[in-house]
Amino acid sequence: MADDLILDVQDIKKAYDGLEVLKGIGFGLRKGETKVLIGPSGSGKSTLLRCINYLTVPDAGRIYLNGDEVLDTNIDAMRARMGFVFQDFNLFSHLTVLDNVRICQVKVKGTDKAVATQRAHRELERVGLSDKADAYPAELSGGQQQRVSIARALAMDPDVLLFDEPTSALDPELTGEVVRVMQQLAAEGMTMVVVTHEMSFARQAADEIIFMENGHIIEQGPPEAMFTESTHERTRAFLNVIAEHG
Amino acid sequence: MDIYDVLLRDFPFLLKGLGVAIVLLVALLMIGFVLGLGICLVQLYGPRSRLVQWPLMLYERIFRGVPIIIMLFIFFYGISGVWDISAFGAAVLAMGLRSAAYQSQIFRSAFQSVPTGQMMAARAMGMSKIKAIRHIVFPQAGRHAIGPWTNEFSSQIKETSLAYVIGVVELTRQAHYIITSTQGNVLTVFAVVALLYFILNRAGNSLLYAFERKLAVPGFEK
Repeated sequence: MADDLILDVQDIKKAYDGLEVLKGIGFGLRKGETKVLIGPSGSGKSTLLRCINYLTVPDAGRIYLNGDEVLDTNIDAMRARMGFVFQDFNLFSHLTVLDNVRICQVKVKGTDKAVATQRAHRELERVGLSDKADAYPAELSGGQQQRVSIARALAMDPDVLLFDEPTSALDPELTGEVVRVMQQLAAEGMTMVVVTHEMSFARQAADEIIFMENGHIIEQGPPEAMFTESTHERTRAFLNVIAEHG
Repeated sequence: MDIYDVLLRDFPFLLKGLGVAIVLLVALLMIGFVLGLGICLVQLYGPRSRLVQWPLMLYERIFRGVPIIIMLFIFFYGISGVWDISAFGAAVLAMGLRSAAYQSQIFRSAFQSVPTGQMMAARAMGMSKIKAIRHIVFPQAGRHAIGPWTNEFSSQIKETSLAYVIGVVELTRQAHYIITSTQGNVLTVFAVVALLYFILNRAGNSLLYAFERKLAVPGFEK
């Protein structure tokens, strides 16, 4: 494996009841890079993302994070180094916003509570929610909840952030505020893998776009190349449909 | 001496009986809580092997399927044949084990009512399964369990009176002593006893409801 890769995903395969969802997929990510996975529903994007942190255990393939292989035996430690942002936020509903961003620092990394509190406040400020620290998740809008969940992931100081369709559960008005936070992170040099249908984000923030279909990578490249001069019929068709329907 | 004087004179005995009932109640609920929570956790998060799951299921079915009065007889006469167990001990054991079977189901449905995404998010952040259960799932399940648990609490207060049949000198038996000694006055004495059970029940319920309200999460609907 190449030494300068933060995340190195090699030949991942996954099947459900004999149906192959991922047919041997690999890609790498350098520090500060943002890669966006796009493709039609059922193409395996989310499964691939979940395989990276073993929320879905791959049938075959290897994953390295900063040179360390992700294994069943070290999975908790490895997950602590990979932030994951869910489509439906999954904030801890019995905890305040502050505690949501603080608890894993304390319980997983053993960070001192005062230090964790400071860090939590800093991350909440970063996503523009300083004033919501004492609120509970159910008191927030979807967009605000998703920003808290991004802050929760950031507070762990992860090597890489994984986003699983972070705006798909939001209406267009709320999508904007989440996308802006993600763009800002990409600009600040966060290393990210993003599964999304937000083409504006892909175009503006991605270093590379990976187009997937039927468990394969069809094509990958920088956004401009993909959007304007894709050589693949299938990629062009998909991007056209997305462009028409927003 | 009319019955009211007798009741006044013997009221300390009724209170003593009430005390025994409360100790029995607390003991059986504690056994039920610890064991019930344990059973629920193994059923939900333990090994799926039949060797583990079947005995638990069998235990739960038996203790939920046999009348408590039969269990009391079996535990008292059964155990006292091999080991010198007091009537009170047998009652605590029989009723505690039975409550465990019920409480395991209360906890199980409470744990299952917590969305799976909560566990998934906790694990994705690097928490071990045990940490995730302890810090994320249990605090939410616990809140959901208070309501149904209050119900179990009420049932068990009332069922402590059945310990009477194996000779535990609790409230109902104290009442019976008074009735025997005064020849009659059944209604008056049992009315007083009913009132005592009722007050204990209401007080316990109020406390548990207050607890539930205190723990309620703002904006969160179950």
